[in-house]
Amino acid sequence: MDAFETALVRVLPRLRRFAHGLTRDPADADDLTQRAAERALKARGQWQEGTNFDAWAYRILRNLWIDTARHRQRRDKVIAPAEQAENVGAPGEAEAAAERLFLMRAMDRLPDEQREAVALVMIEGLSYAEAAQVLEVPEGTLTSRLVRGRQALAKLLSGGE
Amino acid sequence: MMAEPIDETMVIAWVDGELTPAEAARVEQAVAADPVLRDLAEAHRAMRARFAAAFGPIADEPVVVPSAKVVSFAEARAKRMRHLWVPGAIAASLVVGLFVGEMERPAGVRDRADALALAPPLAHALDTQLSGAAGPVRVALSFRAQDGAYCRSFSAKHLDGVACRTGDGWTLRYAAPAATPGGDYAQAGSDPARASAIAAMIAGEPLDAAGERAARARGWR
Repeated sequence: MDAFETALVRVLPRLRRFAHGLTRDPADADDLTQRAAERALKARGQWQEGTNFDAWAYRILRNLWIDTARHRQRRDKVIAPAEQAENVGAPGEAEAAAERLFLMRAMDRLPDEQREAVALVMIEGLSYAEAAQVLEVPEGTLTSRLVRGRQALAKLLSGGE
Repeated sequence: MMAEPIDETMVIAWVDGELTPAEAARVEQAVAADPVLRDLAEAHRAMRARFAAAFGPIADEPVVVPSAKVVSFAEARAKRMRHLWVPGAIAASLVVGLFVGEMERPAGVRDRADALALAPPLAHALDTQLSGAAGPVRVALSFRAQDGAYCRSFSAKHLDGVACRTGDGWTLRYAAPAATPGGDYAQAGSDPARASAIAAMIAGEPLDAAGERAARARGWR
């Protein structure tokens, strides 16, 4: 495996987690992750060795999601969100999945730009600088989206439970 | 900066570890002295921990490997092909191998350095080796799939799988990390997932020794 493939393999599980944060749907998340990996391989000529691979990969997935979400919006407005069910296996997984779905629903209520900031920093653990790089915005913009997103979530989670 | 009052943005940045040591010390002092700030910091810390805990395990989950005829993913989605979940780095490297194989040579995974899923020795073994023969690759059985292709289940050093002959190459149809002694996975040949994958694919019975030799003589076509 060359450096590119190694880096992609390493980041895939995290990309998939980020996809969960963005899509708020396990099936959509898997689909998006696959397409992002596919796109990353096709675009491998655009990645410059020495630059931040993870940020590049996250950015690909996020941009792909923006394109997808634009198409989906109409559908989502007419179809009520179905009850989501995840495959449940090991003990405790049901609770973990339920908790995750609960948080995903709270994230549903955020504007896209706040949700992606929250997902990158709170879920993916990226630094502000890295998250800003993924989203291609100045760090100050990232920070204010993040703060507004977290304020909204704090309200939703304290009032919603 | 130093003269600014501590606001929620500062508190969040502190929780996120984004402040310089001097700024962090200032926030820490303020938080210690002010119950309102303390509650705010605690709430943000708890929320971050809650999200990290809820979503963290996803990144530890196995990475999806398309049950892989090496077709485009669009096609796989359209056909609702079954997706396989196999744990660990091997699975992930398979993904890459399959992707790369698909993009450069649509016919399938071939004897190419970048087609990680089926390294040349593996494809060679599938071409030539009879079931049950000893070697670094062991072929367990051969059969004809419902689509007419010849398929063979095998165990290699890092990979157990089922591959089928398509076009001029072997295409991986099922894969799992190789069974390792004392490991978490079922022993080779007794992998129930592989058995059920074969059961779903097979037309009729597995080839007997004579049938296998005849198929080999025809290049598995």
